[in-house]
Amino acid sequence: MSSASSLISELRSSLAGESARIALDFAATGDGRAAVAQRTHLIESILHRLWGELVSADQSGPRNFALVATGGFGRGWLFPYSDIDLLFLFANRGDEEAHKDSVRQFSQELWDLKVKLSPASRTLAECERFDPNNTEFTISLLDCRYLAGDRELFARLHDKTIPKLLTREAKPLLQGLAEVTRERHGKFGHTVFHLEPNLKESPGGLRDCNVASWLPLISAMSKLGEWPDGSSLRAPVRRQLEAALEFLMATRCFLHFRHGRDDNALSWEAQDEAAARRIGTSDAAGISAADWMRIYFGHARAVQRTVIQLLDEIPEAWSTLRRQFQGWKSSKPSSPDFSVVDGMIFLQQSSSLRDPEMLLRLFHFMAIHGLKLSATTEHRIEQELPALAVTPPRGAELWLYLQETLLQPHAAEALRAMHSLRLLTLLLPELKPIDSLVVRDFYHRFTVDEHSILAIESLHRLKQSQSEWDKRYGELLGELEDPELLYLALLLHDTGKGVPGVNHVEASLEIAGRCLDRLDVEAAERATVLFLIGNHLEMSAQLRRDIFNPETVAAFAEKVGTPERLKMLCLLTYADIKAVNPEALTPWKAENVWQLYIGAANYLNRSADQRVHDASGEKLARLRSLAPVIGAKFKEYVEGFPQRYLRVHSAEEVMQHMAMAEEFGHDPVQVDLRRGRHWYELTLVTKDRPSLFATLTGVLAAWGMNIVKANAFSNQAGTVVDTLYFTDRFRTLELNLSEWQRFKESVAAVLSGKADLEKMLRDRQRAEKSSRVKVVVATRIDFDNESSSSSTLLQVIAQDRPRLLHRISDCLSQQKCNIEIALIDTEGQMAIDAFYLTSAGKKLTVEHQNKVEKALAEELKSLELGG
Amino acid sequence: MTKVEAVIQNSKLEAVKNALQEIGVEGMTVLEVRGHGRQKGHTEVYRGREYSVDLIPKTKLEMVLPDALVEKAVQAILVAARTGKIGDGKIFLTRVDEAIRIRNDERGEGAL
Repeated sequence: MSSASSLISELRSSLAGESARIALDFAATGDGRAAVAQRTHLIESILHRLWGELVSADQSGPRNFALVATGGFGRGWLFPYSDIDLLFLFANRGDEEAHKDSVRQFSQELWDLKVKLSPASRTLAECERFDPNNTEFTISLLDCRYLAGDRELFARLHDKTIPKLLTREAKPLLQGLAEVTRERHGKFGHTVFHLEPNLKESPGGLRDCNVASWLPLISAMSKLGEWPDGSSLRAPVRRQLEAALEFLMATRCFLHFRHGRDDNALSWEAQDEAAARRIGTSDAAGISAADWMRIYFGHARAVQRTVIQLLDEIPEAWSTLRRQFQGWKSSKPSSPDFSVVDGMIFLQQSSSLRDPEMLLRLFHFMAIHGLKLSATTEHRIEQELPALAVTPPRGAELWLYLQETLLQPHAAEALRAMHSLRLLTLLLPELKPIDSLVVRDFYHRFTVDEHSILAIESLHRLKQSQSEWDKRYGELLGELEDPELLYLALLLHDTGKGVPGVNHVEASLEIAGRCLDRLDVEAAERATVLFLIGNHLEMSAQLRRDIFNPETVAAFAEKVGTPERLKMLCLLTYADIKAVNPEALTPWKAENVWQLYIGAANYLNRSADQRVHDASGEKLARLRSLAPVIGAKFKEYVEGFPQRYLRVHSAEEVMQHMAMAEEFGHDPVQVDLRRGRHWYELTLVTKDRPSLFATLTGVLAAWGMNIVKANAFSNQAGTVVDTLYFTDRFRTLELNLSEWQRFKESVAAVLSGKADLEKMLRDRQRAEKSSRVKVVVATRIDFDNESSSSSTLLQVIAQDRPRLLHRISDCLSQQKCNIEIALIDTEGQMAIDAFYLTSAGKKLTVEHQNKVEKALAEELKSLELGG
Repeated sequence: MTKVEAVIQNSKLEAVKNALQEIGVEGMTVLEVRGHGRQKGHTEVYRGREYSVDLIPKTKLEMVLPDALVEKAVQAILVAARTGKIGDGKIFLTRVDEAIRIRNDERGEGAL
């Protein structure tokens, strides 16, 4: 046996023996850092032996040739199955030529030992050259370490060549590194919260730990022209990174030993085993896989945050988009409390965060502009958290800031920033159970908290999207009266997943209830949020039935009740599916959801006249509990109202209408006026009479009010409840408190025939110039004699104009039509008015319909021409 | 061996799947498809805008079965997917020459 082959067999047995010992050690201690150091040492000793045998008996010879460890090996981090990065360094080409054979033999022997080698041969001059297409090589030099051969040659590389190269090429190098990092993050959806993350490549993984040390190193070297002393990272950040590294190293060693190869996927099975073996944690007690993953996500989040901050702080590492923004100084957002420098938010006064309101304002500001927090601002927030935890803000004030934040285009980014600073769970402890929670199912790709935030983000993104489906759903979002309730429902809809072993929808409802208490959300809004959470799977369940079957659609629509809730539920479903994984919402599914939505929406408008007869149902039960004393009167009052009446009005409102009806003896025209969040609300309770609705809309038109929505209903006893929601175009009510009373009196006076409506309308018309039309809406008049059993349904779609509703209802009344129900809606410049009409107590005949259509068309034409 | 392709109503997927499982069909491919037959589409008007539904979302099942199972599978699908109305779908049968399991190169009905 030759000496070389006896050496190889000796090395092979030493490699096998030592590797087994390292594995055993790791199994006993779980110390990843020790395992990678031992493996590094083992490989080094093998390399030294081979060098002595094949290249030079003297370890520091020959001249002009050196063996250099680079990359992970250079750092001294050799994971059990990682590649070994080696550089054969030569003074010049001639030396490379001279040692060609020994390099080949050296590599060959290592291959035969089954050591996975990534070798590179370079002259010093080649090392100094920068190749923008191979930034990896230059970056691997940052971790170079002498192993054997010409020490002086290595010193030239380390002390001269590398600093010179970095000073010259810092900018493209930083740009290149930033680009590959962003690209890699993009592949993982820019989030650490994967259910089965890749320990090395995922955001917040080991690769990011390295990027976090390279970025400041390159930046510092380019300024100093030499290797800096120590890291420029702040001590707390450094400590966080060290702790993360400790955990990630142990886990990667565990994965390598478990898989027997360089496989870094943290699969569910691996998570179970890692938790059982308490990899990376010193906790003596048992730990569940979900809790173990929380530790992982905690570290990954810290690492990712540091990397993103570094990418933002080093101008050379900015994205091209960000660099473009730099030129736009004039559009820089500012506020008295915050300043913005290079896209990062700084505090004007560092002490200001002691005021919790300022903290909430900060995230609101962030949500508007989509800016990032500077490292110093984050640090200040972290310092304030313990004090804040003692008396966290709550109640209506917190809800006010939260809703304003949720509504902004960059709400999701602000929520993520709050979450990663642990502020979100401090303000809303109800989110704690889903913090970094892995729920294992086949479809979800993200943790529950990230899924919820992603769902909010996907709604905000609808506005910019070009896809046909997104546009359609985006329009729906624009029509919502209270989108903040939808966003809040999305934030809370899966909180129940944090409670093991129960139906998550029910658990979510209970947790959300507590959260709504904390935020002091008012009863009607609370009911909407809970409805959305309680039914968040309802549309998906309906999709498994035949959605083209009218009965399926009707049952679903009945369950939802009102068009507003239907819109919200539809958007919630859309966002929820979209946030499951990037492919979950296929066009096929988007179309099915949309079909079900349209079907149910049309059903709700075409079935609005189903009367209340049986006194059952949830709302009625609640009403009876509110009014036990007036039991009999209540039945009399509610008898004959359309079901829709009970759906669109809360129990409290119905009680109020009833009380108003009680006052008829005193005054037969009962008027109530109040200011809502979006518009004014006028409620009229009176006895039915001809042209009532037309007269009422006329008074509002004469006052210059713009009717946005309206409902008109009547019961069997002829009591009418009309509710009109309007905007105050001339701010008459807003600026003059005294006008409130005059306005109410004027409504009553016209209705009781004491004031001349025609004169009021003429006066108004004289005072007003015709407004410009922004979007042209074509008039459309449709009759439907099928949907309702007792009325003819008329839908008018027309350009929204002042006095439009009055002119339509006046025309209908001249055509001898009685308005049983009116459902008035406005969408941008389009008015969508549905009327349930009867004539002499019956449906309209076809001839009558034709006459009405002709008269309406003429009326609308004359209005269009300014008549 | 025969390839069975069945286009059915989305709402019937669960029922058909269960019926096939009961007679011993072990695997199938389910596709989300859109199309129309004689059922054609219709136009839905919503708030003055017309949405035409000319291609209706449907579910398509594909499976390759040993000949002994084909007729039973067809019957199972017929019973489970039928409502008697237009739009219930169709079943297509095609002869298959060979099936090969990629893992071990097994061929013929054994590879199914």
